[in-house]
Amino acid sequence: MQTSGTSARPTATGAARSAPASRPRTRRSRWAPVSAAAAVAAGLALAASGCASSHGPAVSASGADKTTVTIQLTPQGCAPKPARVPAGEVDFVVANKDADAVSEAELRTADLSKILGEQENLTPGLSGGFSLTIQPGSYKINCPGAAQQHWDFTVRGKATGPSWPSNPQLAAAVHSYASYVDRSTAGLISHTQEFCQAIDAGNLSRAQILYPRARVYYERIEPVAEIWGSLDTDIDGRWENPVTVPSQFIGFHKIEQLLWADSTLAGAPSLCAGLVKNEQQLLTLVRSAQYNPLEMSSGATDLINEAATSKITGEEERYSNTDFPVLAANVDGAMEVVALLRPYLQHKDPGLVTQIKTRDAAITALLARYQASPGYDDTGYVEYSAVLDPQRRQLSAAVNALAESLSQLSVQVSSG
Amino acid sequence: MISPGTDEPGKGAPTRRRLLAGAGAAGAGVVAAGLAGYFARPDGPDSPLGAESAGRDVTVPFYGRHQAGIATPAQDRLAFGTLNAVPGATRADLRDLLRAWTTAAARMTAGQPVGEDNRPYAPPVDTGEAVGSPVSRLTITLGYGPSLFDHRFGLADRKPSALAQLPPLPNENLDPDYTGGDLCVQACSDDPLVAFHAVRNLARIGMGVVEHHWMELGFGRTSTTTASQQTPRNLLGFKDGTRNIKAEQTRLMNDYVWVGPEADQPWLQRGSYLVARKIRIFVENWDRDYLQDQEHVIGRAKVSGAPLTGGTEFTVPDFAAQGSDGQPVIPADAHIRLASFEHNHGIRILRRGYSFTDGIDPQAGTLLGGLFFIAFMKDPAQFIRLQQSLAADALNEYIHHTGSAVFACPPGLRPGQYWGNTLFT
Repeated sequence: MQTSGTSARPTATGAARSAPASRPRTRRSRWAPVSAAAAVAAGLALAASGCASSHGPAVSASGADKTTVTIQLTPQGCAPKPARVPAGEVDFVVANKDADAVSEAELRTADLSKILGEQENLTPGLSGGFSLTIQPGSYKINCPGAAQQHWDFTVRGKATGPSWPSNPQLAAAVHSYASYVDRSTAGLISHTQEFCQAIDAGNLSRAQILYPRARVYYERIEPVAEIWGSLDTDIDGRWENPVTVPSQFIGFHKIEQLLWADSTLAGAPSLCAGLVKNEQQLLTLVRSAQYNPLEMSSGATDLINEAATSKITGEEERYSNTDFPVLAANVDGAMEVVALLRPYLQHKDPGLVTQIKTRDAAITALLARYQASPGYDDTGYVEYSAVLDPQRRQLSAAVNALAESLSQLSVQVSSG
Repeated sequence: MISPGTDEPGKGAPTRRRLLAGAGAAGAGVVAAGLAGYFARPDGPDSPLGAESAGRDVTVPFYGRHQAGIATPAQDRLAFGTLNAVPGATRADLRDLLRAWTTAAARMTAGQPVGEDNRPYAPPVDTGEAVGSPVSRLTITLGYGPSLFDHRFGLADRKPSALAQLPPLPNENLDPDYTGGDLCVQACSDDPLVAFHAVRNLARIGMGVVEHHWMELGFGRTSTTTASQQTPRNLLGFKDGTRNIKAEQTRLMNDYVWVGPEADQPWLQRGSYLVARKIRIFVENWDRDYLQDQEHVIGRAKVSGAPLTGGTEFTVPDFAAQGSDGQPVIPADAHIRLASFEHNHGIRILRRGYSFTDGIDPQAGTLLGGLFFIAFMKDPAQFIRLQQSLAADALNEYIHHTGSAVFACPPGLRPGQYWGNTLFT
């Protein structure tokens, strides 16, 4: 198989990691679990608006199906079949049966100014092709020497993302975020281990104090953990949301139920050991994961949505009433994303940065009203069940206002 | 909703061209010729069917002398939201919000989405549920509550003296969750989804500055506001609004509905006060009352709507008439007697209410529903007087006021003006 020699796309080494479907998932994750290599590959492809690769066993970063387009070189031209395809990875298969005057097919931008992919030197009897990831838009298939040289080719659907790796500020933000997730996950493990030690030692009140201290690490990065849906459920699943099978209620909240609702440590040690094991598995996964600015920004919104729907209501920590520290952790996780994207956002949309700052400060000021020392279970806050409905309403308004601002981040990081 | 001058006798009825010009300024599409008819002849309707015959794809001009949604022929559906400013919201925040609301309201009432959605990575500007639904005479009416004029926004010196919380009134047990509000938005449309969409999108735009206090959906208008409309029925099963002020009665509108030059706050001229009362009707009890007693409680025949003193629905009740027993034919405690202008020094209000239900009372298993009363007036004192008169109302056995709010609705806008433009200068 012959290819153009230009810009061969690196072959991805990791396939999309799909979660076992046996466990219910808390929510749809907007994050794609991709290996580092696949993400880099996708990024490069995007950066160059599609780069030809060898026609080999390339693995799609998203795991999506490839589309095949057949181009038959004839004296009349090079009509692509089909001439309309969905955005994503496209395989062009080019063949020349008996066209003496035509020996190549190129994919060009609609104005013909740029070659995006090509197959040259196809004399009669030869075939070849090229693959690339193409953004939605209008293109031309060009075959010099044919009666009709230019043929329309359309890619429809949603754009797959911006060319962020070429932007140093975005690339730095993504890089820093990956280490933030790694650090948080490592912190989760060490604090959960401490929590488990208190359980193993039979110290219930100590375990109650250590429970929220471990939880906050998870709540800062939850949208990432949700990539691996069943793992999220095993670590953080709540009864009836989404867990409905007692044997699958095995994470933090099962232990929370034992410690507070049942006032017992019976059964907790083995659950806690299993929890740490799952967290260690999570660490392995996040260490090989790659993120992009769009995922980061939508993840920030997800974190605050999470705070708005399950923390304000007191649903998340229903047995322990330790919703305050985890609510604060959701905000911390979201604001970490903002902090990392800030160098980029500062010139892109300074008004949005200011608005986010103001709204974050409003939450901080509200939370300060409920701070106490040492506080309920040493959390630094009062017990959440003591917060009356009108006060929850205020918190909710502040949290929703921040989420509304954060929801404007995605378009900023995706518009170059 | 009406072009300048249309409510003033002798100034001339609006031409169709003027209505269309107003609609065009709002970016509107269609204004039915029939709609102009509502205002073309102050003495009566062109068509006995009126609004009922109008198509769904009809816009009501957003800009005009008065806000739309007051004298506009009552639409079939209501979405009513009250909102409170969040702690820390500033005067500038409020001003910007009212500007953004104006733009959005002008678009929505013209049948357009709040914004164009063509950016794949931005949350849609418009929430989208009304796409494809005809605008169905959507109107959006804004009101300012008394609390808006406290210290927070530097508006204390702009507070109309008549804008105050209502005093305690008979037969009320107000739920704070359904009482008051810094702002209100009344969205009316013949399509419930279109009305709801308007309030939802305004609240969304307001996030970070205001938050919902309470919200009510109304599913059947209980008043006529124009002579061309059929009189609807409320959940009592009786015709409601027979003697309401009609938009065509321009003298009554000026005397009792529109704030005039007498206002202590010039910014409110051509505006009106909105009083909202959430009135629960104990329908189960009412339904057990025998027919004649129901008619005595109201003062009208149930089916025909005629007063007990005879005639047809529109026959003027004879409150002086006595039966052979020497008792008044329309009982002394009948609702229509106590609510009548004859009984209240001539005082009238423009009622524009809707039936509502919040579902079933979880404790009692009975219907949580009734009348979401809305009325417009020149001064809330009009409502206070009427409600005090109703202290002896026989109907009180079956109803209870559970929510209450009063708002000052600013006048209409010209294209290029914004809600709040006279408030913040």
